[in-house]
Amino acid sequence: MNDSELEQMQSFHWMMDMLQCVDVGIVVLDRTFKIKMWNGFMECHSGLLPSHVRDKTLFSVFPHISEPWFAQKAKPVFELQTRAFMTWEQRPHLFKFHNYRPITGNEPYMYQNITLAPLTSATGKTDHISLMVYDMTDIASGKKQLEAMQVSSEENQSQLDR
Amino acid sequence: MVSVLVCDDSLVARKQVAKCLPPDWDVAIHFAKNGEEAITALKQGKGQLLLLDLNMPVMDGYQTLQAILDNNLHTKVVVISGDIQPEAHDRVTRLGALEFIRKPVDPTTLEKVLLKHRLMSGPEEAEDAAELEPDIRDCYQEITNIAMGRAGDHLARTMGVFVHLPIPNVNLIEASEMHMMLSDIESQEQVTAICQGFIGSGIRGEVMCILSDSSFEDVAKILNVKEDVDDQLQLELLMDAASILIGTCLTGLAQQMDVTFAQGQPLVLGQHRAITDIIQTSKMKWKRTLAIELSYGLEGYNVRCDLIILFTEDSMQTMNAKLAHLLEDI
Repeated sequence: MNDSELEQMQSFHWMMDMLQCVDVGIVVLDRTFKIKMWNGFMECHSGLLPSHVRDKTLFSVFPHISEPWFAQKAKPVFELQTRAFMTWEQRPHLFKFHNYRPITGNEPYMYQNITLAPLTSATGKTDHISLMVYDMTDIASGKKQLEAMQVSSEENQSQLDR
Repeated sequence: MVSVLVCDDSLVARKQVAKCLPPDWDVAIHFAKNGEEAITALKQGKGQLLLLDLNMPVMDGYQTLQAILDNNLHTKVVVISGDIQPEAHDRVTRLGALEFIRKPVDPTTLEKVLLKHRLMSGPEEAEDAAELEPDIRDCYQEITNIAMGRAGDHLARTMGVFVHLPIPNVNLIEASEMHMMLSDIESQEQVTAICQGFIGSGIRGEVMCILSDSSFEDVAKILNVKEDVDDQLQLELLMDAASILIGTCLTGLAQQMDVTFAQGQPLVLGQHRAITDIIQTSKMKWKRTLAIELSYGLEGYNVRCDLIILFTEDSMQTMNAKLAHLLEDI
């Protein structure tokens, strides 16, 4: 193996390592929604090993995710190669993971933003999509607290005005 | 920065007055609930300009004007009051008020008064160079047309609907004109809006997707949703429709400019509100932007969806360079 090949191998390994340990959930799904990749974040938060979930459909591993609903979301990603987004405001969590900070956190579960992105093969076809899970718990709980404060201050104000 | 003190006993009135201040006017706003509070604030230097109501508890407007004279406080006073009897007008003028505006105040009247008394400087004449050159505008219009054509085709195929392709409206707009543009889009109806940032190869901006509230039922039909359309589901529908519209449009634009854009997570700007409430132009930090407006309609459905693509001013240089080849061929 020559030097450049070795270098390529090494950077590939780094890349894989980063995907594995990055603090974002990464799942690769095929057209039938079988799980093809499952990174460290998903493994740690779900408690399910990659070997346990590989080639099983998303819906058999997580029965509470509705298949028609998810298929509808994924359709434009496969067909149009656009990204699809789900925010915590519309759906607090797709995967019911526990809060990252179980002791000092206010929320029992992790609020999530989800992005579905197309993965294009060398032939230009999109047969796989990636699903990314971002932890939005701190932002969500901050926003909830702020809203609660605004409501109570408006109540105080209206009492004062009276 | 000019400090402005708004004195009124009603919270609604205080907010309303503050909202009417010109959006591009750099001011620090302070509030007082009655004359006494106003005098205290004025003594602390909070109020080169005082916008004063007349009927208030504790110390009313007349007493406040008198107190300003007695204490020799330096402030310019504009009275904003619902009491529009000639006598009231005369009395406040005698007590040193510059002008009398009747409630409810509107932004145009307030701006006129501010300009008349030189309380704020008018728009600088030198800035009228904000015109797009016709061939550049043409160029943007054309690439948007192509991008939209693709987006429309995608939409039509995935959803089985006929899409009326709008003619893109390309303009350079100032921050202060944003409100006008938005109120042109939707003056009556309540809307739900989301925005999404994009960036790549030195080009950055935001796309806003605005859907009128009456469209939701039909959108649900098109997307095959059988459940009742509640708030949560509406948000989801908008997010889905917006992902497709924004995604295909941005991809189309990016391909033609030979760049790729990273898209941020979309953000909900507001639900069921008047469009002008959704975007607070007074908080905006930019001065000028390239705006592309698209207004989609679907045949046979009551769906109105507006897409506004806003590019930062500094992106235009890069974009013009990327599009130079299109212009060369002419």
